[in-house]
Amino acid sequence: MSRERILAAARAALGRTAPPDAAAIRAEAATLLAGPDRGRPPRTGTLTERFIERLTHPKVGGTVEQVAMLTDLPRAVRAYLSTNALPARIAVQPEPRLQALDWSGIATHDGVATDEILAVALADCGIAESGSLVFHSAPTSPTLFSFLPLHHIVALDTSKLLEWLEDYATAYTAAGQAQPRNVNIITGASGTTDIEGRLVRGAHGPGFLHVVLFGG
Amino acid sequence: MRPNLPPFQERAGAALRDKTLKLAIDRTTGTAERNRAVAVAAWPEFQSARDLGRDIRAHVVNNIDHYLVEFERNAVASGAAVHWAATADEACQIVVEICRKAGAKSVTRSKSMLGEEIGLPHALEAAKIERVETDLAEHIIQLAGDPPSHIVWPALHKTREQVKELFAASHRDPGAMEDVEAMVQAARRELRAKFMAADVGISGANFLVADTGSVCTVTNEGNAELTTTPPRVHIVTAGIEKLVPSTAHAMALLRLLVRSATGAELTQYTTFHTGPKRPGDRDGPDEFHIVLVDNGRTKMLGDGLAEMLRCIRCGACLNHCVVYRHIGGHAYGGTYPGPMGSVLTPSLDGLPASRDLAHACTLNGSCQEVCPVKIPLPTLLRGWRDRSWREGLEPRSVRRALWAWKFVATRPALYRAVSAFAVLGMQLFAKRGWIESMPLAGGWTAHRGLPAPASSTFMQQYQARKRAAK
Repeated sequence: MSRERILAAARAALGRTAPPDAAAIRAEAATLLAGPDRGRPPRTGTLTERFIERLTHPKVGGTVEQVAMLTDLPRAVRAYLSTNALPARIAVQPEPRLQALDWSGIATHDGVATDEILAVALADCGIAESGSLVFHSAPTSPTLFSFLPLHHIVALDTSKLLEWLEDYATAYTAAGQAQPRNVNIITGASGTTDIEGRLVRGAHGPGFLHVVLFGG
Repeated sequence: MRPNLPPFQERAGAALRDKTLKLAIDRTTGTAERNRAVAVAAWPEFQSARDLGRDIRAHVVNNIDHYLVEFERNAVASGAAVHWAATADEACQIVVEICRKAGAKSVTRSKSMLGEEIGLPHALEAAKIERVETDLAEHIIQLAGDPPSHIVWPALHKTREQVKELFAASHRDPGAMEDVEAMVQAARRELRAKFMAADVGISGANFLVADTGSVCTVTNEGNAELTTTPPRVHIVTAGIEKLVPSTAHAMALLRLLVRSATGAELTQYTTFHTGPKRPGDRDGPDEFHIVLVDNGRTKMLGDGLAEMLRCIRCGACLNHCVVYRHIGGHAYGGTYPGPMGSVLTPSLDGLPASRDLAHACTLNGSCQEVCPVKIPLPTLLRGWRDRSWREGLEPRSVRRALWAWKFVATRPALYRAVSAFAVLGMQLFAKRGWIESMPLAGGWTAHRGLPAPASSTFMQQYQARKRAAK
């Protein structure tokens, strides 16, 4: 059994004479992260300002607009379609709050096609430190919605903004909490630096990421 | 090591003569070095973050038996199947067997250095399963039939002109490819349908999260998620050292990994995969397999190389290595090139075949300075030199030269006489302060000048000054 062989080899190499003390190891792991802001980058401005600053930074390359309420999303999408001269046929995530909106004037479907031009989705939360959007896979949130479209428009409730990456871990992955099948932390549009190190957008995932912030 | 390689000196010599290679290496490593410097300059706490990175990784390595069992328990609870492979061959057999059971004809793969290490591409080929590399760089080298030459940019040895030729020759619809943007679009069109048609998707892992049983992958193209979501089966191959205690620890390491690799703050797509498709999910794999691979890691742990197991594969040590930047990745001959590769390869492939790697190092220490988890790479490389000597692997010429040096160096009067003679001799070959060629120094002067020595030795000058001071 390779399992036993590997574990025995690891224990021998570590010089273990007794089974590891799980409680002591857990305590040591927790201590490592205990220092205030240990090893974190600097911050300025409000949570929303920081999120916008990171998201629109050239390295991340997202675009953003702020609206009052989620019900303003269809208007923002219509404007985006017209500005970018895109067809009024879009995929809308099968999320009840999005499906309930007034999409008149746009043909919508709730599945995402391999060559989808534009998909609209609702993020579960956002992370200000890195300008990231977080999606949890679910029957109402298929993973491919974030990866197949060329244009990805994401609505985000500003009350769901978190400060640090670790805050996400604390809020959503604490002991005993059920984990979604996929947690996708998305930071900007797809890109590649594989040819001569130069950043090019739209490698396999979306080439354009537009965030519509609401609330707050 | 790749089979049938010429000796290291020949490989390095050939790389040094290849001017296109030098150009290609400079373009990518130069960009990476500049971008990292900007990211680090914007982060005053970077040194403290490195200490934290080192501490987290050392904690995991020191408790790897505990974390393996915890990870397995939580992954199984999430519905994943966990497999253990002691060797590379065993890991490949497990993967091929899962593919066979799934009736797989086509497999998509998201870049994984562990996959390269265990020879998975060859194993799939031998099993007659179509392998589609989906990372742009892996796609390029698959078309070229090359091994990867960098752990983050596997196609770094290809210039844009060479990529254009490759795509023109093999893509169904390459287009004009007037610039790099158009080349990326050509690859996007070429691979789109293959993502959706694959039976199995294979990925590596950047981190294995012990307390949730999740597998974390990091990509900037989105190819990992397109590899792991549509097929019926997702297989993860991961080295056992990839563990972290929790998602929060993974986050602290992600900050370091991404800035050190590309200079970005977070890679575009950071995904935590936990088990297979759930009831009601519209996408996701029906089966989720994780293959935990040892392949020499527990041996490294007991062999004085525990510090190397901290490595998070950012590639910064390659980008900042003067040797890597002159010879590129292929000349190293193993899966992993550069400083981290020169430490890993002797352990993975045996010291007799790779003893030259530890010597092909200036010990300037740049790699250790940029390492986000503070691995003492020069010390570990010196360890291999020491071991090569003790195991009698150094060639007779080297041993004789060192014995001769020792004989002279332990006799001060003789040493002074010989060095005084050598200084005089060397001056015969010096022109305007530089020696361009000299007997016995061809290995040095073939590629650069040797500074001419001072007109007298240190000891002669010291004695003269002492006399003058009296």
